[in-house]
Amino acid sequence: MLRFIVRRLLLLIPVVIGVSIVSFSIMHMIPGDPARIIAGEGATAEDIMSIRIKYGLDRPLIEQYFRFMKGVLTNDLRSIRTERPILSEILPRFANTAQLAFVSIIISSVIGVTLGIVSAVKRNSWVDTFSMVFSLVGVSMPIFWLGILLIILFAVTLRWLPSGGKGGVEHLILPAITLGLATSAIIARMTRASVLEVLNQDYVRTVVAFGLPKRKIIYKYVLRNALIPVVTVIGLQFGYLLGGAVLTESVFGWPGLGRFVVDSIFSRDYIAVQVGIMLIATTFVLVNLAVDLVYAFIDPRLRRG
Amino acid sequence: MRRFVALFLALLCVVGLSAKYGGTLRFLIGVDVTTLLPGNIPDSISTIVGMHIFEGLVDIDENLKIIPALAERWEILDGGTAYVFHLRKNVKFHDGADFNAYAVKKNFDYLFSANLRNVGVYKSIIKEVQVIDDYTVKFVLFRPNSSFLYRLAQSTGWIVSPQAIDKFGNDPAAMSKNPVGTGPFMFKEWKAGESVELVKNPNYWREGLPYLDRIIFRVVAEDVSRVNQVRAGDADLMYNPPPALFAALEQDKSLQVKVIPTVRTIFIGLNTSKPPLNDVRVRQALNYAVDKEKLCRVLMRGLAKPSDSPLSSMTYGYSPTGGYPYNPDKAKQLLKEAGYENLKLELITPKGRYLNDYETAVAIQGMLKEVGVTLDVKPMEWGAYVSKILSRKPEDWDYQMFLLGWAPGTAEVHQVLFPLFHSSNRMDSPNATMPYNNYFYSNPKVDELIEKIAVEINEKKLLEYSAEAQKLIVQDAPWIFLYEMNIAAVMRKEVQGVKIYPTERVSLAEAWIDR
Repeated sequence: MLRFIVRRLLLLIPVVIGVSIVSFSIMHMIPGDPARIIAGEGATAEDIMSIRIKYGLDRPLIEQYFRFMKGVLTNDLRSIRTERPILSEILPRFANTAQLAFVSIIISSVIGVTLGIVSAVKRNSWVDTFSMVFSLVGVSMPIFWLGILLIILFAVTLRWLPSGGKGGVEHLILPAITLGLATSAIIARMTRASVLEVLNQDYVRTVVAFGLPKRKIIYKYVLRNALIPVVTVIGLQFGYLLGGAVLTESVFGWPGLGRFVVDSIFSRDYIAVQVGIMLIATTFVLVNLAVDLVYAFIDPRLRRG
Repeated sequence: MRRFVALFLALLCVVGLSAKYGGTLRFLIGVDVTTLLPGNIPDSISTIVGMHIFEGLVDIDENLKIIPALAERWEILDGGTAYVFHLRKNVKFHDGADFNAYAVKKNFDYLFSANLRNVGVYKSIIKEVQVIDDYTVKFVLFRPNSSFLYRLAQSTGWIVSPQAIDKFGNDPAAMSKNPVGTGPFMFKEWKAGESVELVKNPNYWREGLPYLDRIIFRVVAEDVSRVNQVRAGDADLMYNPPPALFAALEQDKSLQVKVIPTVRTIFIGLNTSKPPLNDVRVRQALNYAVDKEKLCRVLMRGLAKPSDSPLSSMTYGYSPTGGYPYNPDKAKQLLKEAGYENLKLELITPKGRYLNDYETAVAIQGMLKEVGVTLDVKPMEWGAYVSKILSRKPEDWDYQMFLLGWAPGTAEVHQVLFPLFHSSNRMDSPNATMPYNNYFYSNPKVDELIEKIAVEINEKKLLEYSAEAQKLIVQDAPWIFLYEMNIAAVMRKEVQGVKIYPTERVSLAEAWIDR
């Protein structure tokens, strides 16, 4: 088990290097001169040139890349736009996004798994129809729109909850529900399919034939197996959410990572984009690792290897 | 009896209007502040936040006149090559340091030696700054400059505490995180991407000000979300609401909407270096073919005003030219004379940089169709767009028409005419200092007038030159003159005394909340 974890952690290094190369080249391929954009309208040619020299943007790309990697290793990188140390810009935003992602994934797992199990067990009943319609709507509704609807209802009209920004727990409710509902739809569909599949397995039919109570069958024999693909989906979704749920963060003015990376792309803040993407990629790999560990916990057959 | 009633009414007015102390004002901004180091500030949001912390020697008022700020008065000597400023006494920085002539000199020395981003505003103008005595400071210029005071009023000219420069000066990020000025509010906290908080300066030199205890600038990226937050009462003030929501906002009784004209003009640049747009008749025809009144009324819903000059009517030096009233017949006739009856043109435009920029381009596409011009509209992402139209590489100069806005930070004529219309600033001229003339316009007469404007300190003559230059430029039509922008602010009913300037600045120095 320990070897498994160490191996997975070592795998992080090539992944992060690969991501850095890809994001570095993509950022430089899109047209747009950061010095020009940072200098603002009305800047003199001199201003623009001095920014370019200051950030080494006049150097060859290879050199810029190695300067960047050296900066990563020595923790000496600064955002081009704000000139502040990049980690002190990114980490607080990452913490905000993590907070939001964590609450959302709990909401969506609870709703999604419950709905999925219920609708699988009571297949073709009204509960099933309702939950599948709910998840269809959830999957197809734009997050942006849902967020604005919730704001208009709960913040502008009813005034029960704040309409956005970051503050106490109450500020977390609407954005977390918005994200959670969309994600729960996906989880519900996955759970339902998976539970149905397990219900059709021979061994389940066998225990049913033994006449065990239905509740016991579901808990003891079905869920354990059915939940493995569900855990994968939850893990993947959590990874996405940690990458920054850009639209939700925008609608609710939530100061998270996704919005930050998008703003940095628009202002051509190469340093911020690269560090941001590397952070997102790293968390994704870590979340996947965590998912694998949960698998191993659920299914002992996977513990070897 | 009548006198009594009058007195009573007057008293009622005073009571009704008297400012109340205390409270927090929550101001929503669309993007985070970039930096709070004055010499590095590139954007209008950072300027709005910074102007509450810092002050310069002079300031620009709502009518775009130069007014005293940290300097009480000044004299212009040696034919405009020297300015002597008499400084306000008993002013202290937020950290307790004294404001005086040494502080002023230290700021300009720092600006030049640390090579801050905006140093270009002063580098070619200011020769040196001399301390005459504790409260007198002299600026020696290389040559007379008509826009010098206006430039001094820009954020780059804000005076930072000399103690702060000593402490943090070698690190722009530390300077930016520890902004210490003389302004009505003191910096408290900046949470990146989230908010900036300022608190009242209890020792502010302007008697009785400010009224507010606290200002919180909160970042909310989506404009619809900003509107909703103000409507929900979670915030007090925002500006630039989407025009489509404008009518609803005006009907909301808990809100007030203020519309103020600005110095920003929106125009379509016409590449005069290649046919068919090298023919002045074609350029004039395009101007006649666009119904600016309709654009402002229908598309911008009153958030813009048709323009008839390269200058906004708010900009110092503006003079009306008559422009090009909507006249499609005349447009057709001019196109016929020029021999282009079925013209195909391409317009590139940003999408979302300015209010309804792309929508304006599409509306113009429809208008030009009426006079037989087929217009292809191509939207581009802002970063790529700017790199294209402001590129110094000849292979990028293949565009025909582009939509852009221009707001002179100095709010005066020279910063419009010189970068945009002087032939030395043409994209293809190697020594351009502000290469923004990307329609390759040149007119020797206009050049001459701009050069005169640059050094003229006699107001009457300056306005004459400037009027003549505007007339010539409008005749030559290197632009389709579209409209000047208004800025709209949406605030809660209880908010009073907010000042919105044509320079797109928003001041809360005299604001108060009636709760």
